Amino acid sequence: MRTGHFKERTGQLVALSDSKVVWSFVALLFALALVAPFVLGNYQVTLLVSTLIAIVGAVGLNMLTGTTGLISLGQAGFLAVGAYTNAILMMDFGWPFWLSLPAAGVVAALISILVGVPSLRLKGLYLAITTLAFAFIINHVILYAEWLTHGPNGIFVSGAKLFGFDIQKGKPLYYTALGVAAIVVFAALNIQRSRIGRAWMAIRDHDIAARVMGVDLVRYKLLAFMVSSFIVGIAGALISLQIRFVNIDVFALILSIEALAIVILGGLGSIAGAILGAIFLSLLPEAIRLFFETFSDTNSSFYTTYVYEIRGITYGVVIIAFLRLKPEGLIGLWRDIRKYWSNWPLAY
Amino acid sequence: MDFFLLLVATGLVSGAAYGLIAMGFALIFKSTGVVNFAQGELVMLTAYISFSLYTTFDLSFFPLMLVTIPISMLIGLVLERLFIRPMLGEPIFAIVMVTVGLAVILRGVTIMIWGPDPFNFNAGIPTEVVYVGSVPFYPAQLYLIGALAVMTFAGWAFLRFSRMGIAMRAVAANETAALLVGISVSRIHAVAWMLSAAIASVAGVLFAANFKLAPDLWFQGLKSFPAVILGGLDSVIGSAAAGLIIGLIENLFQGYVGQGLREISGFIVIVIVLMVRPYGLFGSKDIERV
Repeated sequence: MRTGHFKERTGQLVALSDSKVVWSFVALLFALALVAPFVLGNYQVTLLVSTLIAIVGAVGLNMLTGTTGLISLGQAGFLAVGAYTNAILMMDFGWPFWLSLPAAGVVAALISILVGVPSLRLKGLYLAITTLAFAFIINHVILYAEWLTHGPNGIFVSGAKLFGFDIQKGKPLYYTALGVAAIVVFAALNIQRSRIGRAWMAIRDHDIAARVMGVDLVRYKLLAFMVSSFIVGIAGALISLQIRFVNIDVFALILSIEALAIVILGGLGSIAGAILGAIFLSLLPEAIRLFFETFSDTNSSFYTTYVYEIRGITYGVVIIAFLRLKPEGLIGLWRDIRKYWSNWPLAY
Repeated sequence: MDFFLLLVATGLVSGAAYGLIAMGFALIFKSTGVVNFAQGELVMLTAYISFSLYTTFDLSFFPLMLVTIPISMLIGLVLERLFIRPMLGEPIFAIVMVTVGLAVILRGVTIMIWGPDPFNFNAGIPTEVVYVGSVPFYPAQLYLIGALAVMTFAGWAFLRFSRMGIAMRAVAANETAALLVGISVSRIHAVAWMLSAAIASVAGVLFAANFKLAPDLWFQGLKSFPAVILGGLDSVIGSAAAGLIIGLIENLFQGYVGQGLREISGFIVIVIVLMVRPYGLFGSKDIERV
């Protein structure tokens, strides 16, 4: 147990971490992530890229749902906006990737204002339903605005380049995703410890009290929508790089539920939790696939027939199990372990 | 003029389906304060069960419903006991997320049992065209509108006159006070789920009889949200009326504005209603403004 550990200035209280151990672990993890593609096979690297993209998306949703307490069932819509913006700007307008990536975020953030303004008066369930409605509206607009989005034909995304590398496959794609994820996580951590982050948490915990303390609800709620959608839009742009063919079917409702599952599973409001949740839920379908493949061929064909259903059921079970047994999520589990470790042999 | 009448007729039919499903939503919200995102999946599951009963026993419509409704109520009860009851006292957000999880589970299980292919399911309803005035109807369409009328009346009478219905309104008004006067709130919650599942089965069977029984039936649940919001989340009768309105709006949009707008016109209505009158046309006005 750490003793003689005092925080005397505000700066120490809001510091990301004052523990050298934490920083060295982060550095070690990052170094491992850097060498990973040289050790792992192609398939595993692809899986890691999906995980990194999921991390970016989860950090974005966590900002809205976890930190500010605004439930969104419309993440698929914002992912679609990001992916389509990136695809259209790159393929139809010839923008370079380093410019179309932030543009995808900006467009998603602008559209989130459209969602955010009508949602300002709403809370909880009403908000969840409005965001759901907006996701449907966005999907249909994309489907019917053929002059811009090619409608049901979709868009092939190819030839994305960054520093002269083709970043749509293998190691370059992995490093791009890793870089974006690292920047997003670092930025999110810093936003969360600033006045903005504290204002968001105040709104989540009690909006009237927050208002009384001088938090401008309209401004900070809209800001939460915008920042969150910016990040989710960037995740969408990364998705468009990885899947290479942007089509509206990719962005179905199940994606919004998957995103919420990640955030709940990790622990609402915690960025480390969002990362853990994204890793867990991206690798879970693989574990299930392996489970089915280890058993006989009949099971394997059953799996390939119902892959989406099995995946959906898994998300459902994970959501319900965590809400029932461990509402604080994986990060709560980790905190319990840490407490147990440092306080042993005492219970508290 | 004929075109308009036809649009109105089909609008009323699909609106009746929305209205029935929306009643199920409103019933659960009214007594438990939870939006049941699994309502569409409940509709789908009960419709498939009814389909299996129909193919096994070859029943006509009314006997089929006599068997389907009790089974659906049992399913509603089991789901409430297994998934919702243990969450009693948890924040609303957590319970709603449980229903979202329940929704994907039910959807997956249903598709895994009955397979991804659609079925034709006429639910023992005759198929000769009937004319009402100059407008042709399939009997199944009339059954659907009739079912909405019956359910609305039964729902009104239940909430107005029966002891259980009055207790349900008491729980909706103030859960703690209802507990204090000796109402078993947990039993009311269970009853709400059972009745909601019963309404869902009527909606599911008649929807499948009108269109077809396909794995995307759950989507009707989400498409009924506009009706729930327009009617007011806690107004059972209001959501039935709002279902008809949404059905009409959708069909008139499709007929006069454009094909693609049918799917989203309802959701545009949601956004407008929530901005102008968040408690809906018939809902109770208790939204706080900050």
